Amino acid sequence: MLQRLRKPWPDQRAERTLGALASVVLVLIVLMIVFVASKAMPAFQHNGLSFFGSGGDVDRQIDAMVNTGAKPAPGDYTIGAWPLIYATLLTTALAVVGGLAFALLAAVFIVEFAPPSLRRVVVPVVRLLAAVPSVIYGLIGILVLVPLVNDHLISSGRKQSVQYVISLTGTGLLVAVVILVVMITPIMIAIIVDALYAVPKGWREGALALGVNRWRAMWTVSVRAARPAIIAAVVLACARALGEAIMLSMVSGSKGFAPNPIDGLTFIFEPLRPLAATIVEDADSINAPAMSATVYAFALLLLFSSLVLSLAGFLAKQPMKKYGIRV
Amino acid sequence: MIGNEETHDVERLLPPPIKRIVVDEQLQPTIVQPPVADPVAATGPSAGAVRAGARAHRRGTPGPERMTLDGLSVSYGTKRAVNEVSLPIRQGEVLALIGPSGCGKTTLLRTLNRLTELTPTARREGRILLDGQDVDELEVTALRRRVSMVFQQPNPFPMSIFDNVAYALREQAMKRPGKAAVEPQVIDALRRAGLYDEVKDDLSRPALRLSGGQQQRLCIARALAVRPEVLLMDEPCSALDPRSTAVIEELIQELRSELAIVIVTHNLQQAYRVGDHVAFMYLGDLVEYGRTEQVFAAPRAQRTRDYVGGAFG
Ligand SMILES: Nc1ncnc2c1ncn2[C@@H]1O[C@H](COP(=O)(O)OP(=O)(O)OP(=O)(O)O)[C@@H](O)[C@H]1O
Ligand SMILES: [Mg+2]
Repeated sequence: MLQRLRKPWPDQRAERTLGALASVVLVLIVLMIVFVASKAMPAFQHNGLSFFGSGGDVDRQIDAMVNTGAKPAPGDYTIGAWPLIYATLLTTALAVVGGLAFALLAAVFIVEFAPPSLRRVVVPVVRLLAAVPSVIYGLIGILVLVPLVNDHLISSGRKQSVQYVISLTGTGLLVAVVILVVMITPIMIAIIVDALYAVPKGWREGALALGVNRWRAMWTVSVRAARPAIIAAVVLACARALGEAIMLSMVSGSKGFAPNPIDGLTFIFEPLRPLAATIVEDADSINAPAMSATVYAFALLLLFSSLVLSLAGFLAKQPMKKYGIRV
Repeated sequence: MIGNEETHDVERLLPPPIKRIVVDEQLQPTIVQPPVADPVAATGPSAGAVRAGARAHRRGTPGPERMTLDGLSVSYGTKRAVNEVSLPIRQGEVLALIGPSGCGKTTLLRTLNRLTELTPTARREGRILLDGQDVDELEVTALRRRVSMVFQQPNPFPMSIFDNVAYALREQAMKRPGKAAVEPQVIDALRRAGLYDEVKDDLSRPALRLSGGQQQRLCIARALAVRPEVLLMDEPCSALDPRSTAVIEELIQELRSELAIVIVTHNLQQAYRVGDHVAFMYLGDLVEYGRTEQVFAAPRAQRTRDYVGGAFG
């Protein structure tokens, strides 16, 4: 067997083998979606569109499901999951926008302006950071950042002003987004740095030889040419932020609450809980059929959004092909 | 621009089909062709026989000095790539830089607009003057707009033809000018580079879909758009076929009246056809500098004789 692998394969056989493997993967993905969708069906059937709405306290609705029987009544499925969906979108969007701005500047600095000695240290460190398990970030968040925010940033006056609605304890939007940014930025930096290095040297030199300064040459030529990689980095970062469960469960405050921007500065301290964190927290009470269907429904939403993300990334890259940028 | 009436010109510039392999001092084979199809020239390189056709445009008197290199040396780390070179670069003339591979031609050229500063190990000594002013005293971006460069490999940006030519114009402006504001300059630059007639139907086409020769002319147009005073060309034809080469050589003839041009070439016939002056470099040293006829027909140094002799003897 091994000997056969070592021999040069005819192209046709290699093509057929790889094609078969790819098809198997594709079939598995489709099966997974079908499976999750079928399990989630009751939750959508009984709620209709109000599943995506914001009726009642979502935490109470979920708690109630835990105690429903093996043959749940239609009413047992009642949920308005908007606060969880909103929390997912909010944390992801804020983290990715903030992380992208930071990653772009950092990558440009590393590639164009950092002295070589610094570059030799920074690049491996960034790669290392990209590989740190998220639970460690969660731990640092809960041990360091949360007390810091609670003691120094949230005044007791602010706590009292909202005490009948929600309690502010330091866990919440701010810490969740900050740690998400720390978590996803290294990956984006690593991808963008590689892409900037891969930009043909001639383009950059061509721009410089026309009397454009290094900063502008970087933005107008190198970063432009690296746009497909930047899009890929954003898609990957979104996927990681969307799917982050443990860390967010630790530092988000874990409340089915929708932070409201009109609360002013209080907004950033308000607790919340995204879908993925909800799934890990409720996975142990999945014996109740109503609960099970609801958790599968959350999973289907996440699955669907990563598909949409990949598709959006693919579509966004298409116009760039035209001008000869490698996609 | 190649009008029909000029077609015979192009053909004259095309290399004749006879090729010989000449081995230079560094044992690098160079494919060379006799300079002119003319049988008189092929028999002997006497100064009298050498002229006719292609070099008839030559001016008698040298133009004013635009750039001056004064004891210019460049080293990469401990390796000296250019050694104490002093040269004038004159307005309205083409200076052809020749020499075996690795002798420092590219390095010399890139020093003129301070592109060598991008190489961390490169160090420069000696002075370079542009209109009497030391280039180190100029803002590097201002210098590079006055002394523009065309590279060996055509390097159009991954944008449309129009955006390529407009690039430097837009970057130069304080506020990004709209399409209409730069259009006249873009079209003018494309005309001067002899590309306009071939691309005028669709300037929004991606530049990278052009042929190699068209891409190189686009790069020339891009450099011309900001109206440089000196144009540096590093083997601009080495990636091109004979016909595109002829088109670019003709373009150089047309541009020589408005600019000072320095061209690096491995093709001795090309140096002969386009150069007013020729500088021969060897291992970083400037061995010979003189009028083209003199360098090719009656070189002073033995090294030059060995190098150019093979091509004409
Ligand atoms: N970035 C660099 N770092 C170190 N050495 C270099 C660098 N660039 C060029 N050199 C060296 O400097 C010398 C001159 O190189 P240069 O590229 O100027 O030669 P050239 O005459 O243009 O050759 P060619 O005709 O092959 O293009 C060579 O010996 C080369 O090895
Ligand atoms: Mg060279």
